[in-house]
Amino acid sequence: MALPLQAGLTPMEVAFLCEMEMVTVVPRQRLESLNLLSGPTPTLRPPHRAPLPLWLALLLKRQRRANILPPPWLLPSSLERILRHETETSPLAFSPPPPHPHPITSRISPTDHISPPFLPSSTADAPPDYLPYHWLELGEILLEAASDDVPEPDRVRGLLRDLREVRMSKMRGSVKGLEGEGGGVSKMTGVGAMEVSEGRGFILGVLDGLRKLGSSREVARREREEEEGGGEGSEDEEMEFE
Amino acid sequence: MATTTQVRLRGRPAHTRGPTFLSYTPDGTKLITVGSNNTTRVYKTGFDGEPTNIDDCPEQNTAVASTDAFFVIGSEDGNVSKFSLETMSYEKYLTRCSLPIRDVTLSSDGKWCAVSSDELVVKIIGTNDTSAIMSLREQPKPVKHLSFDPSGKHIALSCTDGLVYVYSLINDEPELVRKIDGLIRTLETEDEVSSKVVWHPDGRAFAAPTATRDIQVMSRGDWENQRVFTSGHNGDITALAWSPNGAMLASAAKDGKVLLWETKTQKILATYDYADVMDLAWHPTKNLLSFTNAEGWVYIYNDFVPQEHAHLLKLPLQPAPFIHDPLSEISANARRPITNGLKDIPNRGARRGTPDSLDDILGSDIMGEEDDFVVDDDGAGYALGLNENGKRPNGVVDPYAGPLSKRRTQSWEPQIHDSFQPGSTPWRGNRKYLCLNLIGFVWTVDQDTHNTITVEFYDHEFHRDFHFTDTFLYDKACLNENGTLLSCPVNGETPATIFYRPHETWTARADWRTQLPKGEEVTAISLSDSFVTVTTTANYVRVYTLFGIPYRVYRQKSSPTVTCASWRDYVLTLGNGPVGADGNTKLLYTIQNIKRDEICQSEDVVALPDGETIKSVFFSDNGDPCIYDSTGTLLTLLHWRTPSQATWVPLLDTKLLSRLASGRKTETYFPVAVADNKFHCIILKGGDQYPYFPRPLLSEFDFQIPLSSKPKADTGDDEDVEAEKEGDELGKLESEFVLKSLLTAQQQDLIDFTKSSHSQRTALARMELEIDKTLLQMMAVECREGEERGMRALEIVTLLRDRTGRMIEAAGKVAERYGRNVLGEKIREVGEMRLSAMEED
Repeated sequence: MALPLQAGLTPMEVAFLCEMEMVTVVPRQRLESLNLLSGPTPTLRPPHRAPLPLWLALLLKRQRRANILPPPWLLPSSLERILRHETETSPLAFSPPPPHPHPITSRISPTDHISPPFLPSSTADAPPDYLPYHWLELGEILLEAASDDVPEPDRVRGLLRDLREVRMSKMRGSVKGLEGEGGGVSKMTGVGAMEVSEGRGFILGVLDGLRKLGSSREVARREREEEEGGGEGSEDEEMEFE
Repeated sequence: MATTTQVRLRGRPAHTRGPTFLSYTPDGTKLITVGSNNTTRVYKTGFDGEPTNIDDCPEQNTAVASTDAFFVIGSEDGNVSKFSLETMSYEKYLTRCSLPIRDVTLSSDGKWCAVSSDELVVKIIGTNDTSAIMSLREQPKPVKHLSFDPSGKHIALSCTDGLVYVYSLINDEPELVRKIDGLIRTLETEDEVSSKVVWHPDGRAFAAPTATRDIQVMSRGDWENQRVFTSGHNGDITALAWSPNGAMLASAAKDGKVLLWETKTQKILATYDYADVMDLAWHPTKNLLSFTNAEGWVYIYNDFVPQEHAHLLKLPLQPAPFIHDPLSEISANARRPITNGLKDIPNRGARRGTPDSLDDILGSDIMGEEDDFVVDDDGAGYALGLNENGKRPNGVVDPYAGPLSKRRTQSWEPQIHDSFQPGSTPWRGNRKYLCLNLIGFVWTVDQDTHNTITVEFYDHEFHRDFHFTDTFLYDKACLNENGTLLSCPVNGETPATIFYRPHETWTARADWRTQLPKGEEVTAISLSDSFVTVTTTANYVRVYTLFGIPYRVYRQKSSPTVTCASWRDYVLTLGNGPVGADGNTKLLYTIQNIKRDEICQSEDVVALPDGETIKSVFFSDNGDPCIYDSTGTLLTLLHWRTPSQATWVPLLDTKLLSRLASGRKTETYFPVAVADNKFHCIILKGGDQYPYFPRPLLSEFDFQIPLSSKPKADTGDDEDVEAEKEGDELGKLESEFVLKSLLTAQQQDLIDFTKSSHSQRTALARMELEIDKTLLQMMAVECREGEERGMRALEIVTLLRDRTGRMIEAAGKVAERYGRNVLGEKIREVGEMRLSAMEED
């Protein structure tokens, strides 16, 4: 590649994608429907709640034209339960992602493949106790831009940091499984976008290193095999030469 | 009002120099004092001779508490000892601590003794059985003072970290119910200054000295600051004591003064100069106050209350100084004192207490454990005499006139529905909401001499918030897009007044005020786009135009009136009707069109389950009446424009909401409005009944007609889950169908009875189409389920509303797709029959 860019998305890009997530706002003044590329926004009439993309919600929030309702999983009680799940209930696996809002049954339906940010996983009626795909960046953005709308922002901030640390250490720990034969990163269900982006450098580095180590071993083994397997042939050749 | 006495009382040198404490036995015969030397003195009341001495007690005593039979002493050597008053001798050790004892107190029944020391844990020990110990461990620092509430069900701990910890002792395991910050100051355990919480004898409130040398009263029900005894002392307060009936408060401070306050007015009745007073104790019945000072002296002050105020001591139990006493409050949500319904009902009236009955002489706390005032288990603070319906019985006209226990034994009376103002809350502390709706909210703050009213809007661009000083003490309000309507009760000579203030005006002055005839009180007000409606205690419904022209006055047929609501030209009034089988009066409603002078529904019954009442009534944004009842159900009125066709249809049962399904949450909902086919409410947690400050967010719930109980989520088998999902899907479609049919019927009514616009008619057509779509989806599910469900599928087809036959065709196609040929055949037959019927038409 010509550009010295790392593989994958940078954290900035992940945060940018996160801004397409829908959040629920309580408008403080009227706003007619806007025709956006992603479709028309709902008409805003205070105090009726309305779902808006995060970027627009942030814009309105900065202009003090709306309040953002934090998603239920961002409440301290819910984060505490998730943290307990991460540390006590299943200290090895990641906590599960929210259930798919459209029931996935044996029948194939077009809704089966919708994934974040097109799923309403951060609106006010999202299920609590599950971290959605964009949890870290959404939490950080809301704490930065709308900390007055989040109940107990300091505790939420602390809990998010705890969760992040617990999960990053799991992510790093999962690399241990790579070493053995047939190893791979253990189950990644429930890992968030930012975590993937953060972990990518480390995991790729480890994988690359392992591949290098493995490749020399592989080369040696292949050579040995060649020697053993091809030994007879060469002997034959040698024989022929002789 | 302050009087300084001239007679200088001679103290009695009871102990050597050092902190000295005292306690009266509950029967008032003995006064026990302890001090820094190893002698305890027991003075007999009314006997001026030498006291009885008990010598074999520890030195450096720090606290004493007594019952009629024994007393306990805590001392700095860490022992809590129990002494018998019969034998006047040492009985046993109750407990020992490794650090000095700071306070001991006995519960009113004498069964429990609470002990605080410089250790972190506060122990509550059984006085007879010292092995029964409860430990209170939540506080992070040593506790300086303890106090049991009069019922012994709560204990307040004044901790040295500046917080008050209140524990509930109702269950076996003590439970921290409240940490109170900002009431008392941070002190060290050995300071002479006090931070003691002193419960008012009625048990609903307590007083505590603050850092600003005032005495703050706080209510226990809602933990709000109530009245404050202010600007009396120039030094830190060292002791507090309520008079036995709660009518007065005595306080002593470092400025060398002992003050006597009147509870009701928070005024100083008398000032006495005694320096270094450390402990105060009222005699339980006589006009006698005793106190001790840091010099070891004991003062027994006969006729402590000046003669001109001595009558205060003879009063029955007095209420704690609430800003707005929930018991005597005539708020929008409380029972009104005078009601027309009462006088017609045969009523023997409440028996006054016999002047010298045993109850009066001994006081309620001796006769029974129950504090006569409040049995407030739900923490709501209004628990007085609530019957099973959560209502206050009629007899409570003047709650303090006599012992209530007498009043409960009255002849039977019907339970009437109380009047209320929709969307308002009762006073809590010094604030209340006058009106909460989707436009905004109106709230008022009591500032003693006047109120301040604030009107805030959700739409900040549309209207500017405003705020004004209110000398009329308005207690009801309505708010809509056009203006604010306020009403105030009769105040002395001023009759009840209604005040309307439009938000926008093009003249210099647009607000108007009108006074009701003398003696008439407002029971409820409502404001619509065109009329102002007022219901009054004289049973009149008074309708004014928006600019104050009296438009109609009529007497309401059902009485006493409960409330009213209005939307455009329609006015809904609620009143109490005849008594139903459950002993409650039937709630009757009348809907009138004021402009056309038509009665839509006359004295029809509001469908309520037995013994339940109504919480709120309002019109939805489409103009349909809605009620929210005490079972948590939202109902709407269908076909109400045609006389005697109206039916109450449930829209949402909040008890069945999926958010409560886990059983983890206990919450109730304060109804605000119905708009956009959603129920807007405020979620109340923790047993609250009304929203409070800061204003909580509005929540919205979709309608969900209670049809069936939800199947339980996650079970083991995958197949089960699959089957459940099918059932779930069908159930969802079914409830969608019922809801859509209901909403369509309402829209149809609206179009039939008003000048409908084109958009309304297209909306109706679209809604009907939606119903058909839902039916088709239901049919598809039935077809998929199997051949045997064909009859049900066919029935669904007959429910289709479409007249053109297109929908039936589509249904036929669905049947074909699933290979149900027989069904397809039958559907075609139905379609043909329909078409021919239409041709005949």
